[in-house]
Amino acid sequence: MDMLTLAGRTFRSRLLLGTGKFDSNETMTRALDASGAEIITVALRRVDLDNPQDDLLSSIDQKSYLLLPNTSGARDAEEAIRLSRMARIATGIEWVKLEVTPDPYYLLPDPVETLKAAKILVDEGFVVLPYINADPILSLKLQDAGTATVMPLGSPIGSNQGLHTRASLRIILEQARVPVIVDAGLGLPSHASEAMEMGADAVLVNTAIATAKDPLGMARAFKHGVIAGRLAFLGGPRAPHLQASSSSPLTGFLREE
Amino acid sequence: MDSVIVLNGKERRFFAENVPNTLSSLLTQLDVLETTAVVEIDGRLVHPKDFSETLIRDGQRIELVRFMGGG
Repeated sequence: MDMLTLAGRTFRSRLLLGTGKFDSNETMTRALDASGAEIITVALRRVDLDNPQDDLLSSIDQKSYLLLPNTSGARDAEEAIRLSRMARIATGIEWVKLEVTPDPYYLLPDPVETLKAAKILVDEGFVVLPYINADPILSLKLQDAGTATVMPLGSPIGSNQGLHTRASLRIILEQARVPVIVDAGLGLPSHASEAMEMGADAVLVNTAIATAKDPLGMARAFKHGVIAGRLAFLGGPRAPHLQASSSSPLTGFLREE
Repeated sequence: MDSVIVLNGKERRFFAENVPNTLSSLLTQLDVLETTAVVEIDGRLVHPKDFSETLIRDGQRIELVRFMGGG
């Protein structure tokens, strides 16, 4: 069977799901189930002391999913490292989706701080999955630093714009020695499918599913989009060309030649 | 004696009869389930197994965080 291997663990699903923006924990758990995802991301935030019993994890069957804490909200390496250590001490989970986004408007990742944090976290024994712009050189530097993956963006987080980074993604995919997970900006199953057709090992989706009118239906659609794209990649697609190429025989026509 | 603790960036006053001795008793007073909280006191992480033995002192800065939905 075609499995995804990340840091020595294997997964059947190549769709990672974020848990943000769902209108209720019930919708979220049903969408998680419908998506087939096995890895789900979570964020760390201050406890709302006016609503102290609100607990996301009580809704999630932690035996069914690998929790992947993110460092969202971190503006520099120091904050990302602090959040990573908090996540690890709480759960014992050493996996972290490293995000450093100093600019709240476009939420684009800071390459310098991300690389700096990645090196320290790898040294501390974390399994680091860094969210990055689609930068081939940065991807190589992160791999050299020992990250488990690289996670280049398709377009800004939550923007639903799809793959605006195709040319750079192709280079990253060609050079990668670790799995490549395309993260952020995927608004439709066809976007996810295209990333998988190009050879991405997996994709991460949140907003497109959580904010759809029917999150369950959209979760199913992304599940199948990812599977279709992966199968197409394995199927060995042919390059496009300008001239037509008849699918039917070009002989035996009912006319005089 | 009353006690003031900076909780998640905001000062909170505990009257003498309610001043929590330990981190566990603070979490109980705040109605926060221990197993859901990550705690930093004055910038130092506290391991969950140490919650019941960690003493709370006047003037400390305490951060209480937990997992939320996120992408």
